[in-house]
Amino acid sequence: MHALLPQARRRGMAKLRRFLLRYYPPGIILEYEQNGEKATRQVDLLTLTPETDVEILVNQIVRQEPLVSEARKPQLRKLIYKLIEKMESHENQSFYLFKILRAHILPLTNCAFNKSGDRFITGSYDRTCKVWNTFTGEELLTLEGHKNVVYAIAFNNPFGDKIVTGSFDKTAKLWNSETGELLHSLRGHTTEIVCLSFDPHGAVVATGSMDSTAKLWDVQRGVELCSLMGHTAEIVSLNFNTEGDKIITGSFDHTTKVWDVHTGVCLHTLSGHRGEISSTQFNFTGDLCISGSIDRTCKIWNVASGQCMNTLRGHNDEILDVAFNAQGSKLVTASADGTSRVYNTTTGACQAILIGHEGEISKVSFNPQGNKIITASSDRTCRVWDVESGDCLQILEGHTDEIFSAAFNYEGDTIITGSKDNTCRIWKC
Amino acid sequence: MGLLSLLRNLKKDSEEFRVLMLGLDNSGKTTALKKLAGEDVSHITPTQGFNIKSVQQDGFKLNVWDIGGQKHIRPYWKNYYQNTDAIVYMIDSADKRRTDEAADELTSLLEEPDLAGIPVLVYANKQDLLNAMSAADVMEALDLKGEKSRWVHVEGCSAKTGEGLEAGLSKLMEHKKSS
Repeated sequence: MHALLPQARRRGMAKLRRFLLRYYPPGIILEYEQNGEKATRQVDLLTLTPETDVEILVNQIVRQEPLVSEARKPQLRKLIYKLIEKMESHENQSFYLFKILRAHILPLTNCAFNKSGDRFITGSYDRTCKVWNTFTGEELLTLEGHKNVVYAIAFNNPFGDKIVTGSFDKTAKLWNSETGELLHSLRGHTTEIVCLSFDPHGAVVATGSMDSTAKLWDVQRGVELCSLMGHTAEIVSLNFNTEGDKIITGSFDHTTKVWDVHTGVCLHTLSGHRGEISSTQFNFTGDLCISGSIDRTCKIWNVASGQCMNTLRGHNDEILDVAFNAQGSKLVTASADGTSRVYNTTTGACQAILIGHEGEISKVSFNPQGNKIITASSDRTCRVWDVESGDCLQILEGHTDEIFSAAFNYEGDTIITGSKDNTCRIWKC
Repeated sequence: MGLLSLLRNLKKDSEEFRVLMLGLDNSGKTTALKKLAGEDVSHITPTQGFNIKSVQQDGFKLNVWDIGGQKHIRPYWKNYYQNTDAIVYMIDSADKRRTDEAADELTSLLEEPDLAGIPVLVYANKQDLLNAMSAADVMEALDLKGEKSRWVHVEGCSAKTGEGLEAGLSKLMEHKKSS
């Protein structure tokens, strides 16, 4: 083998340096060297389950992936077992109330974790965003400067060194998440900013506004890159795909639009809903996206063609939130009818109906492992559900007013809930 | 409710009216809102944020925002000014010690550029109490007689019994229809 190396270098052949693990969704990242340059390639294992035949999978990867030689098999096997082990951890543990944070003097809007889960942020009607230590419940920073409600907030995950806040004061602000220093104020929208996101590389921020436009901003310089014009009503949802080259925007004009991030060109207008869009999301691979609507349906769209693949019916009232699991194999809808529904992405079949809440469900998401779902409701509770059976595993009770937001950390062992009662609660396994 | 409903409520809608209910703490805003919505008013606690309810009045849908009135959260009233069609200002007519404070807050509201020309319905609440000032006295105490730049009306009411609440809204809608 060693004798071959110089020759390999001359041809510019890639050489594997090491494996990196990605737990959710499961995958193995190959870090390799080519022409002296370091690069990575991802081997997605989206269908991996504890029942997967690991030997067959190892052989398949070695056959299909030229970077991985026969000699790497034992190492590869070990990594796959580690991914499976990770899927099964926390499986049967229940959540307990760890801390109540008297977070703000007015209702909370949204909350979000950083990638490692050691910190999270909350936005509020009191015009601030606060940064918290998840393990101690300690308030680390108060980001002050907005002149109205801080509605949308995000970390630049996976890095986590920056925060962006979007406000009813029409501006978005970029902050250093360690020091609380204001880096840039992003001005240009003419009405409230209600949704935003960093791109996965942390270089671009997208903001969506009630002024019917979305804007892309350069994070480093704090300047506007382009305006995404075309919607005829408020934009209330936006997401980047995993690659970061496309963005979708969901609007009260009943459509979702797919945009090219580099050019700002609208690639597709996904029309078909008969009511306002409430929520949108890409699947992990970015070939599909979903839109939930006030018209009580959720639609699955092919991103490349702009075609509607499926219309998911069943809810008796408005759909308020939608989410894919990490692998993209399932999706969940939350409705004003007080139920959530789990659907198979490929077949569109409803696999479970989550019944129990006594008020509308405004937020829903899978845990990163994909075996549990959390729902947040106006009935002042959150519920944790088993995805397979649709059984309610737990009711997280204690908030004294409706819950506006809920989030899992990346490990799936901590939940934060933000409520109209001005508090934030941390729940742990 | 949920966050999405808050956004839909922010939206300027010609079919609906957005009514902002303000006033000092303990003046009876939440009780009035619940009474108007036909809900139980026996257990009301100080509002730490806001409550929103939709009320039908004379064939119109009013989205009424009841905003907490405690001193430390009054600076945040501004959060809610945009797209407001009418202000309902609640007065505890029986609390004469705080009439000046209530008048001062109302004066600053009337000076807000975002609220210029917006009609104001004042509820002289707690008329069920013996020592309550009359609607005319409240008008006097709030120094509203000279207000020419907008429609202002003072209606005596009891949020507890519901008396006068609909009559006040009805006068407000009458004005809205005629303007």
